Amino acid sequence: MSVVGTSVEQSAPRGGVGDRPVLSVEDLRVTFTRHGRRIRAVKGVSFDVQRGRMLAIIGESGSGKSVTVRALMGLLPPSAAVSGSAVLDGRQLVGMSDKQMRRVRGMNISMIFQDPARSLNPTMSVGAQIAEAVRTHQQVSRPQAAERVLELLRLVRMPAPEKRVHQFPHQLSGGMRQRVVIAIALASEPDVLVADEATTALDVTTQAQIMDLLVDLRERLGTAVVMISHDLGLAASYADEVMVMYAGQVVERAPTQTLFSNVRMPYTRALVEAIPQISHPSHTLLSVVGGHPPDPGRPVQGCPFRPRCAKADDTCLTAPPLDMHEPEHSYACWHPVTGHEVPVAAAPAAEIPGGTR
Amino acid sequence: MTGASVLDAPRRPDADRGFGRSGAGSPFVRLLARRLLMAIPLLLAVSVLVFLLLELMPGDPARNQAGMDASEEQVEAVRRRMGLDKSPVERYFGWLFGIFRGDLGRSSVSGQSVVDMLGDRAPVTLELVTLAFAVSLLIAIPVALMAARRPGGIFDRTVMVVSMTMLAVPNYVLAMLLVLVFAIMLRMLPAIGFVPLEEGLLPNLRSVLLPVLALAVPLAAFYTRFLRGDLVEQMNAADYIDTARAKGVGPWLVLWLHAFRNSSFGLLTIVGLNIGTLVGGTVIIEQIFAMPGMGMMMLEGAMSRDVAVVQMCVFVFAAVAILANLFVDLMYAVLDPRIRYGSH
Amino acid sequence: MAVTEAPAAAVVAVPAPDVLDPERGSLRWAGIRRRLVLGIPLGFVALLILACFVGPLVLPLHPPVGGDILNSALPPGSPSHPLGTDINGNDVLSRLLHGGQSSLLVAISVNLIGLVVGGGIGALSGYAGGWVDNVIMRVLDVFIAFPSLVLTIAIAQALGPSLPNTILALTAFSIPAVARVARSATLRIKTMPFVQAAELSGSPAWRILLRHIAPNITPQMLNFAMLGMGIVIVTEGALSFLGLGIPAPNPSWGNMIYEGQQSMSATPLLVLWPSLALLATVLSFNLLGENIRDEMSGR
Repeated sequence: MSVVGTSVEQSAPRGGVGDRPVLSVEDLRVTFTRHGRRIRAVKGVSFDVQRGRMLAIIGESGSGKSVTVRALMGLLPPSAAVSGSAVLDGRQLVGMSDKQMRRVRGMNISMIFQDPARSLNPTMSVGAQIAEAVRTHQQVSRPQAAERVLELLRLVRMPAPEKRVHQFPHQLSGGMRQRVVIAIALASEPDVLVADEATTALDVTTQAQIMDLLVDLRERLGTAVVMISHDLGLAASYADEVMVMYAGQVVERAPTQTLFSNVRMPYTRALVEAIPQISHPSHTLLSVVGGHPPDPGRPVQGCPFRPRCAKADDTCLTAPPLDMHEPEHSYACWHPVTGHEVPVAAAPAAEIPGGTR
Repeated sequence: MTGASVLDAPRRPDADRGFGRSGAGSPFVRLLARRLLMAIPLLLAVSVLVFLLLELMPGDPARNQAGMDASEEQVEAVRRRMGLDKSPVERYFGWLFGIFRGDLGRSSVSGQSVVDMLGDRAPVTLELVTLAFAVSLLIAIPVALMAARRPGGIFDRTVMVVSMTMLAVPNYVLAMLLVLVFAIMLRMLPAIGFVPLEEGLLPNLRSVLLPVLALAVPLAAFYTRFLRGDLVEQMNAADYIDTARAKGVGPWLVLWLHAFRNSSFGLLTIVGLNIGTLVGGTVIIEQIFAMPGMGMMMLEGAMSRDVAVVQMCVFVFAAVAILANLFVDLMYAVLDPRIRYGSH
Repeated sequence: MAVTEAPAAAVVAVPAPDVLDPERGSLRWAGIRRRLVLGIPLGFVALLILACFVGPLVLPLHPPVGGDILNSALPPGSPSHPLGTDINGNDVLSRLLHGGQSSLLVAISVNLIGLVVGGGIGALSGYAGGWVDNVIMRVLDVFIAFPSLVLTIAIAQALGPSLPNTILALTAFSIPAVARVARSATLRIKTMPFVQAAELSGSPAWRILLRHIAPNITPQMLNFAMLGMGIVIVTEGALSFLGLGIPAPNPSWGNMIYEGQQSMSATPLLVLWPSLALLATVLSFNLLGENIRDEMSGR
């Protein structure tokens, strides 16, 4: 997996062999202008996605992960200014006119959203919505489109597809709706599928089913998947590569195994620590990362995580670059974690809702 | 609307099972029956209120009819002839059953049967109301769509300002201004008078254009504001709009096939709520333009204390409003798949 | 660096600098515009009320009725007649102000009665629930079923044209409308935790209504009242236009429009003055209503 560093200093040489990545993003920046204020949502993000692989983008709310992928799709409001580079299969996405973008959307890159109940138009039958996806990019006749709809429904393992086709979203369960959404996204067999918190609104069992489906589709169709989530556990189970974002920047990136066995960035470490584990003794306090992310409307000096990091010192007032310090593992930190230190100031007991039990 | 039709043709029989699209047990028919059942007592209550209202009118219709210098016996005779000597309750039921029989009373001024009068006047009002209804939507829907296409843009802002102003203009003031500009200053259209259809389509349309505009424009302003707001709200926030755009569907199609389809229910509701306003507006508009319709009939009846006429007119107006609302409810149930097909 | 085949430039739009600009002036402009949108209609309404209620007492106006027919149809700018005279010789400005007084009096009265009575009925009905609610709503439904103008005309012509009768006729459709809004607002508040807490602590119903429900439905009621001002003024104008409202020769904007209509080809201004007055007033109240709601919901 290759990695490109940017920001202030030099860029690390591209490592790793393999095919050219299907999606290559470099120094992507997104700034919103609202009421005269500039809000920097994404401050220079770079990553590559290889064909048929799954990249998980992890971060808390406001880290800029959704904005990043929406910028790729061209789905941001007009108040957003996008700069940088994003090359999808040889095509530069940044700067495309809306008309050009529409041809790419759905065809080469598609996206599924968080809540399947709200992602589907309640007044259109499910079949019609899938058919629309088919016919937007392909000149097919109606019977042909209908056939393709059934094919897609079978592809996403929808039970009784002929029946579902005429039904409306409110008549389907959450898991079935999400399958429909996936069918819509795959209608034109795109190179990249972006799943923005696609399983967050589902119950755990359904979540597992949908994730398995995505893995299966990835293998069968060779579609690359970019999975956005705040759920580290999910990423650990399914992704090939994990990228952690904080305050609009990438702070750590590595293949899944590498990342979880050797967490380097204190923030990532804190996230991992926060996952409740069966192995912990009962009534262990959940370690909570105190404080909150910086306001994107204000300038940040140095490392954005500095106010919440126990290991921070004056060197952190200079922003650390995202460099590949170890093979295939990049992170942006002057004081990476080694071994099993707990790098964050544990939140004082008073902050934990309900106190100690 | 297109979109659903792709899958309409090759439909397997078992696909419909369990969704009750037809048949006495279907939720739709039950809804229809229930709403009809609720409308009837309402109509009856309205009839009582109408009857009461006009019984309260001061003055003695019998005396008016008999004349200023009639003797007491003559007034009593007239009273008996008009049936006014019976108790209010008796008179009410007499009136009510008369309606069922088709006897709507007689004008105490002209002696003409109210049924005949309605037959003459109702078509005029019907034409005005139907055209105004159509025109208001024909203006509102395209304008709102175009405004929602680029919210905050020049067209959108202009539309908001103009519609705000139009909302504040009462329909009679608008009528005045229209007459001033088009009839008096430009001399393009007649200021008053109705030309019936038999005398030609174009003269007929020319004679109703101004009154129809006066009725339609304030409504169109209201619908435009609502629809534009609803569309923009969806375009900003609704996830299914994002899905549609992520598919690569073009902006006009997203607006029309997705956003408008969902807005159409809200629009239908407020259209229904305003049918009463539309119908009531004819009273004053017909007066201004000297249109021989039901509104004019009611006014003339009011002025000349013609109880029977006023009663019937008010009742008809109210009944039309109630039935229109009922119709809107049913349309809602038919069009919204969430109601039509229920949950699974 | 990244090897691409696309010839397009990698950087588009504004390259975002790392230094943050100070807060731009646009923020301040947005604040000013908000104040203007609220301030102008508020100012106009205040001016209007001042002019119509205080004006006739203070300004040297001609009486609104009993003018000299020899003075008819003088153009605006005539000596001592800044807006001219109507066909009966009455001073237009004076009639406008006195008419405004009548119209506003009617509108304020109707809305006050509507708010108190209608609001009370609606809140009571919504809070009580059950059969009480049902019965009240059915009764109100009957009134609401009528097109408002039709109902008002029916009552007005039954009672005869006069200012108090006009107020009565208009409350007939205002009260049910307000009641409905109050009821739905109450229903929404009723389920909120603080109301349930008050109930659980044994507060009597009247106190809950007064101290918890009433303050919380006030924003919506105020907003509706502002819209109602516009509607009532327009409907009163319609009634007066038809001769069923404020009786001639007393001026009302409605009957001034009617009189103006008679001589519209000769003296169009006579229609325009009261029309403009109506338009400006209703627009101001509508704007006020919208903005009060926005202010109160903390936009």
